[in-house]
Amino acid sequence: MQASGRHTYPFAAIVGQEALKQALLLNAVNPRLSGVLIRGEKGTAKSTAVRALAALLPEIEVVADCLFNCDPGDVTAMCGRCQQRLQSGTELPRQRRPMRVVELPVSATEDRVVGTLDLEQAIKKGEKHFEPGVLAEANRGILYVDEVNLLDDHVVDVLLDAAAMGVNTVEREGISFTHPAQFILVGTMNPEEGELRPQLLDRFGLCVNIAGVTDPALRVEIVKRRGAFEDDPEGFAALWEGERQRLREKMVAAREILPQVNISDDMLLLIATIAVEMGVDGHRADLVMMQAARASAALEGRLEVTREDIRRTAPLALVHRMRRQPFQDLTLDDRKLDQLLGAKAG
Amino acid sequence: MKEHLGPRREIPVVSYLRYTYPFTAIIGQEKMKLALVLNAINPLAGGVLVRGEKGTAKSTAVRALAALLPEIEVVAGCPCNCDPRDEEWLCPFCQERLAAGNKLKAVTRRVPLVELPVSATEDRVVGSLDFEQAIRHGERRLAPGLLAQASRGIIYVDEINLLDDHLVDILLDAAASGTNVVEREGIKFTHPARFILVGTMNPEEGELRPQLLDRFGLCVPVEGVDDPATRAAITRQREAFDKDPLGFRAGFAAQEEDMRRRLQRARDLLPQVGTPTEVLRLAVDQAMEALVAGHRAEITLVQAARALAAWEGRRGVTTADLERVAELVLCHRRRQPPPPAQQQREKEESKAGDPPELPEDQEPQGDQVDDEVTGRQQPAPEISPEAGQQEHEHRESQEEQSPAGVAGEALFTVGEPFPVRRIEHHRDRVWRKGSGRRSRTRTPVKVGRYVRATLRRERHDLAFDATLRAAAPYQGRRARDGLAVVIEPPDIREKVREKRVGNLLLFLVDASGSMAAQQRMVAAKGAVLSLLLDAYQKRDRVGMVAFRGEQAEILLPPTSSVELAQKCLAELPTGGRTPLAAGLLKAYEVTRAHLLKDPDLTPLVIVVSDGRGNVGLGQGKPWDEVRQVADLIRREERIKVLVVDVEKDGFLAFGLARELAGVLEAGHYQIEALKADTLVRAVRDMQDGGWL
Repeated sequence: MQASGRHTYPFAAIVGQEALKQALLLNAVNPRLSGVLIRGEKGTAKSTAVRALAALLPEIEVVADCLFNCDPGDVTAMCGRCQQRLQSGTELPRQRRPMRVVELPVSATEDRVVGTLDLEQAIKKGEKHFEPGVLAEANRGILYVDEVNLLDDHVVDVLLDAAAMGVNTVEREGISFTHPAQFILVGTMNPEEGELRPQLLDRFGLCVNIAGVTDPALRVEIVKRRGAFEDDPEGFAALWEGERQRLREKMVAAREILPQVNISDDMLLLIATIAVEMGVDGHRADLVMMQAARASAALEGRLEVTREDIRRTAPLALVHRMRRQPFQDLTLDDRKLDQLLGAKAG
Repeated sequence: MKEHLGPRREIPVVSYLRYTYPFTAIIGQEKMKLALVLNAINPLAGGVLVRGEKGTAKSTAVRALAALLPEIEVVAGCPCNCDPRDEEWLCPFCQERLAAGNKLKAVTRRVPLVELPVSATEDRVVGSLDFEQAIRHGERRLAPGLLAQASRGIIYVDEINLLDDHLVDILLDAAASGTNVVEREGIKFTHPARFILVGTMNPEEGELRPQLLDRFGLCVPVEGVDDPATRAAITRQREAFDKDPLGFRAGFAAQEEDMRRRLQRARDLLPQVGTPTEVLRLAVDQAMEALVAGHRAEITLVQAARALAAWEGRRGVTTADLERVAELVLCHRRRQPPPPAQQQREKEESKAGDPPELPEDQEPQGDQVDDEVTGRQQPAPEISPEAGQQEHEHRESQEEQSPAGVAGEALFTVGEPFPVRRIEHHRDRVWRKGSGRRSRTRTPVKVGRYVRATLRRERHDLAFDATLRAAAPYQGRRARDGLAVVIEPPDIREKVREKRVGNLLLFLVDASGSMAAQQRMVAAKGAVLSLLLDAYQKRDRVGMVAFRGEQAEILLPPTSSVELAQKCLAELPTGGRTPLAAGLLKAYEVTRAHLLKDPDLTPLVIVVSDGRGNVGLGQGKPWDEVRQVADLIRREERIKVLVVDVEKDGFLAFGLARELAGVLEAGHYQIEALKADTLVRAVRDMQDGGWL
């Protein structure tokens, strides 16, 4: 979570890195995209962008006293306690609160991630209670893992498990508990320090490969802005406040119309064809391409997904899902993708 | 904010009800659905393992199935779901009640589906002392575990290949015997635990041990659907569910109900389904044809075929039924045919088991050779890479002698990686040894997955839950100063942690000119690549040091990025003289540094060279220095070494790599012997040896 006193660099002030910004925005609009993996060198605004996104996120409605930020309007994704209360006719206390960004440090232990036996309750009262972990906190929010490739293997397994099904099942230390854990998994990594396992790669809805900006003029601009921000964070934020508001409004509007954004059978077929032709594993790519295209349409205030939406978002959904030998680079055949998109136009 | 803090401590007790995707709404994946249905009809079909790519509805289907199963009758209040009509299989709770003259009341409930997360700990799986009871009433009672809960139901393990080995053993034992024996924390308890084991896995994440593989009656490989129209329909369907789960389920309610009824009918019919002799005979034939070990395959074939007949409302099993289920039963049990390979494997294993003895009978050359080598090889690398690449076989002897050659360097392609077969067998051994090592480890590092607790006190790594359970029964007798629990030193339990990463493979690759001869470099690169592929699956860390010309260089500091290692390998040029001593020293330094950081590590240095060191570190004779450094490495017991000798046998062979292996007390392998999976096995054995 962000410390309240700390200033974050404004999202809109990030120079370049369009793919990264787009991927983050799409996720913020449509949480069903279930996250983004940002692969790139050091010092390419990876972390800055994620932290900046937090300041843009819209508010969500939650059950006020619920540890899991349950949505009072959705019985299918509620914790057991909220479900019970709802069924017994109790009015759930509602509250609006910003979407959370929960940071998972690389050193996190498994018990902190999944939750564990509540020490205090056990010692003081001799009772067995569940102490929720990071996965509970991150429900309906963003789970941010910096250097996700450096996470301990078993923590990765746990994340996989939860991210896959949107549920955290705890069977440890005398505790048996299940709660919803639907989060947007945002990870950053520097591929030089080791790759992620394919199974975890697939859990990230989108993936962006980023590189440092090479245009000298832009680089100068980056240094300038960064300098201005560090000299006077408040002043800098104020300068960008208008832009931030605009972006935020755009996002709120997009979230609102998202449920009505329609995708035609033709477009779905196009997505399926792309998935088959590009040779991706499984069906998650199809789902993600569809959700990304819908989010893209929503961001532009349209209610119908167009070919252009797919063209723009498909690479983000495909790059890390290409079938490949263990040693091949993560790359995407852009020409082939263009052909597929073009061929269908005729 | 105060408001907020209050309810924060309001701890949830109820697990939430999950709204699953309807089984009948799953498009495609017919084989998987069939396998699941057969098990639902006849538990003797022995469980299902679903192997396949990511995102192919594996988990969705399993969860959906549980929602479809007809209800069962259980004894009211029994934690083990005992069947009131089956007095032979009653748990001690129910036996007690029956013995006390009480009647067992029956209630109906849904078939239990227990999900075993990969983070599960042992106490929750087998059951443990109920510490609440113990503290309040000073009573030792069992808090039944997942095996009890799953009795007469399904245990579902997603990503079963990632589950801790120890837990897998427990699951296996229970599944094999149909009972679970709890003997811990002063509790002794045995209860029936008959369940259907359903697992899903993605083979990319590593394989499953063969013993566990065989426990699964059926196995289904799944992959994505290739037809775009079907894919589009799948996507559409899923979207509809995600948008409105309740409405979607309502839409499929009728179909689900039909399916449920059909399942029930099939279950009722099953006892009457007979198996004609010809079908039995075919089952045996098929099992034998597939060279399956043991008799489980035949039995499963017949039971699965019976379930299929029942599913289709027939009372007799036909040979066609058997053929339809054969693939499900046999695909994971089939063995590779040739028996000679088996023998060979055993031979190799015994050979690798005692590596230090190998070089001894071949020692004799001694100093003479050293002089000869240094004298003769000083001038230059031997042969041009082109020659080496094109005419490696018949020019063998000439090449060895030819002093002339191309000075400078050449870039060799990476040789074909070897097929890495039968590695499962080995991995199994390594893993078990691995956990043995872990329990013995004395490191203060508290990392890894908490699997179970132990009485041993070594690391100050408190297992609080276990400590609490140990202390709980005595609370009545201890002076409690306002606390609910008083813990005394004998109660303390520590965590046993499992850590799967921790191997470090450091390749020390000779990139000198002599490696250019006879395609040695091509073969060497191929060998290293094969090992890398294996390391990738095992998630070992790999590093690479190369030496040529005057010095050794760390090409790749130990990393878990096998991709990078491979790139390094492809770009590694060959040429120049052979500073073997410098290479060994560098390898020693790198591994030492990593041992300091992580004492748990078991580094394995793989030297790929012909052993013809001809450049010294200082003033001494190069070969003497090699011996000195080798001796240094040998004395650091934690570093294991394997020498891959790229020199071919022949009357001009110097056998120096063999000698080096002798000094290092390392395993020695010739590159010719490295085809198939020998090298990989050699590494495995070394690692094995390391744990012992």
